Amino acid sequence: MAGIPHDHYQPKSGFERWLHRRLPVAGLLYDTLVIPTPKNLNWMWIWGIVLTFCLALQIITGIVLVMHYTPHVDMAFASVEHIMRNVNGGYMLRYLHANGASLFFVAVYLHIFRSLYYGSYKAPREVTWIVGMLIYLLMMATAFMGYVLPWGQMSFWGATVITGLFGAIPGIGESLQTWLLGGPAVGNATLNRFFSLHYLLPFVIAGLVIVHIWAFHSTGNNNPTGIEVRRGSKEEAQKDTLPFWPYFVIKDLLALAVIMVVFFAIVGFMPNYLGHPDNYIEANALATPAHIVPEWYFLPFYAILRAFDGDVWAVQLVQFLSFGIVDAKFFGVLAMFGAIIVMALVPWLDTSRVRSGRYRPQFKWWFWLLAVDFVVLMWVGAMPTTGPYPYIALLASTYWFAYFLVILPLLGVIEKPEPMPATIEEDFNAHYSAKATPAE
Amino acid sequence: MTLRTKTLTAALALTISATGFALAQEATTTTVPMQPADAEQAPAEGTTFVATPSETAAETATTEAAAEDPAAAEPEAEAGAEPAEGEAEHADAGHAEEGGDHGAAHIEDIDFSFEGPFGSYDQFQLQRGLQVYTEVCSACHGMKFVPIRTLSDEGGPGLPEDQVRAYAAMLLPILDEATGEERDRVATDHFPTISGMGMGPDLSLMAKARAGFHGPVGLGINQLVKGIGGPEYIHAVLTGYTGEEKEEAGSVLYGNTAFPGGWIGMPPPLSEDRVTYADGTAATVDQMSTDVSAFLMWTAEPKMMDRKSVGLVAVLFLLILSALLYLVNKRLWAPHKGKLKH
Repeated sequence: MAGIPHDHYQPKSGFERWLHRRLPVAGLLYDTLVIPTPKNLNWMWIWGIVLTFCLALQIITGIVLVMHYTPHVDMAFASVEHIMRNVNGGYMLRYLHANGASLFFVAVYLHIFRSLYYGSYKAPREVTWIVGMLIYLLMMATAFMGYVLPWGQMSFWGATVITGLFGAIPGIGESLQTWLLGGPAVGNATLNRFFSLHYLLPFVIAGLVIVHIWAFHSTGNNNPTGIEVRRGSKEEAQKDTLPFWPYFVIKDLLALAVIMVVFFAIVGFMPNYLGHPDNYIEANALATPAHIVPEWYFLPFYAILRAFDGDVWAVQLVQFLSFGIVDAKFFGVLAMFGAIIVMALVPWLDTSRVRSGRYRPQFKWWFWLLAVDFVVLMWVGAMPTTGPYPYIALLASTYWFAYFLVILPLLGVIEKPEPMPATIEEDFNAHYSAKATPAE
Repeated sequence: MTLRTKTLTAALALTISATGFALAQEATTTTVPMQPADAEQAPAEGTTFVATPSETAAETATTEAAAEDPAAAEPEAEAGAEPAEGEAEHADAGHAEEGGDHGAAHIEDIDFSFEGPFGSYDQFQLQRGLQVYTEVCSACHGMKFVPIRTLSDEGGPGLPEDQVRAYAAMLLPILDEATGEERDRVATDHFPTISGMGMGPDLSLMAKARAGFHGPVGLGINQLVKGIGGPEYIHAVLTGYTGEEKEEAGSVLYGNTAFPGGWIGMPPPLSEDRVTYADGTAATVDQMSTDVSAFLMWTAEPKMMDRKSVGLVAVLFLLILSALLYLVNKRLWAPHKGKLKH
């Protein structure tokens, strides 16, 4: 791993030398663990570890759940109840897995918004960002398919609605939808393929996580100042950094332990709070729930999907200009995927040369407005599409796009950044007066 | 028509008088300490799950069944003959209820014994609830996900095993897959599956399949304080009959303040002294509704006590771990941070 200069692994014993010549695995572990990390990282830099933990938790609980689950439309719901009632500790496994998904998304949203604030996506970390966005997309796919597996009412109708989105694509839509479902409607074939993919995708995510870590270990971490670590020499780098082990391992573990207190309180005392009661009713193709509501972590994008209905003039205009090919439904689908695509393209949309939002006086306001916007979208996504809600959704969706497509490109040109510290060391020492000499 | 109800009640009574003594001992020795307010009668009477044959049988057979509850008392076998009542709601329950008129009905919060991190089921209440389910609800509602043997689980109703076996045998017979013939249910079987015209939805998970509280403005944040409100919803439906009736598309609908839309297909199932509690608890509609709601919370979440104790241990352990890690982290970083500047 290139990047910041630091001490490399030196095999000491005979065995280490023997192994190192054949497989330098100890060296890989060593270099990964002692990687120089900016010492001014704040508490928003802990979410990566939380996410890694979530992935491990989901895979481990998931593998055990699979041992007792039956992916068949007639037995899936009953097999989940079997897990809840008869399997030793099954109720904990399932609640950990279900709430683990929520923790996963809490962490990923905070992780993403941290990157957006501190400009972690900017050069040279675009690849880290893009890989991260791919992981996020796969997470959504995995979570969606996992939610179908218990075969409750929301599982079934959520699957029907979401796969219906693909049906909105002009021309190929219907065949694509049938191909995805394995039949004309959500049924046993759908359940089986979702089960298969729900098992597969976490391992794809795990692979991408390794690439994600590799990428930012090559460029070095960003930090709250957005200033790069000095790399002229090892000594210089050491003034800006501390090794990951033990400093950041312990710090991250502390954060993780505190988060686990909250997590286990939710799993232990209110495990169904984040779920939907309808999913305790077995799937029934003949009874449509009054409101089909996705899980909370999809709500912002679900709100964007619904915001662009046929009453919006922009939608009508596009429909007219495209000779009706892009109708309101397809427009909504494009908007929903577009909302994620513009976010993925942010490294090239943000024209400011200042990385961290800390030194961007105007950016700060727009950023926090985006954060509020995200929460508003989440809220309005759960509301009915009557009364004032469609207008709120439209306004909030518009801001989402405006932030990435208009505000960020313009801000870089018109904004006058505030003075920045010259080095990470300077920033760190402005907060803490170092008593002893720096590390080593 | 009331044959099954009669047999059932009689069998129940017999079973229980036979094993009553065992239960009395069980009850007094094991679970008295966790009894809340309404417990006084229980130990005195010795047992809670006893129906006197004469009273209950008579009650069930004549008054209620004839009076207002033809569909509700209809056993499965004859269901097809009388399709009208009950069906509308039950069939519609699926979509009418799923969040239909959120917030339209006011659901009263009940302070159940099992709420909160330290809450636990009230064994005697669960037994009373089981009695209400058996004598009233079971005519139209199955509980296909609940294994009968779990009635003896600790933390649940905690019936003695021989009583559970006897209880299983008097439920509807089950089709034996191996022989293709009907046989008596045994404790390892589940509660019956009841479906068909005029029958209600399965109750195994009902207390988790409905949310009582949605506020404020549909955000559901009050669930953090009150709980999700499934049992409260069941209680509200059972006590929410206005006494009005109307006929719609050939079925009778009953005015109900808690049910979304205000009209329910289920005839009022409970009336004063509909069951006779052996522990002397007055069988008001409110009492029976509360008891059966608590029981249905147990059927929906039988491992709640285990889960809470795991949660408690985990939280305590993690708090200690957090404290230790805080100290380690502080010590570790101290030389690099020095003192905080002002």
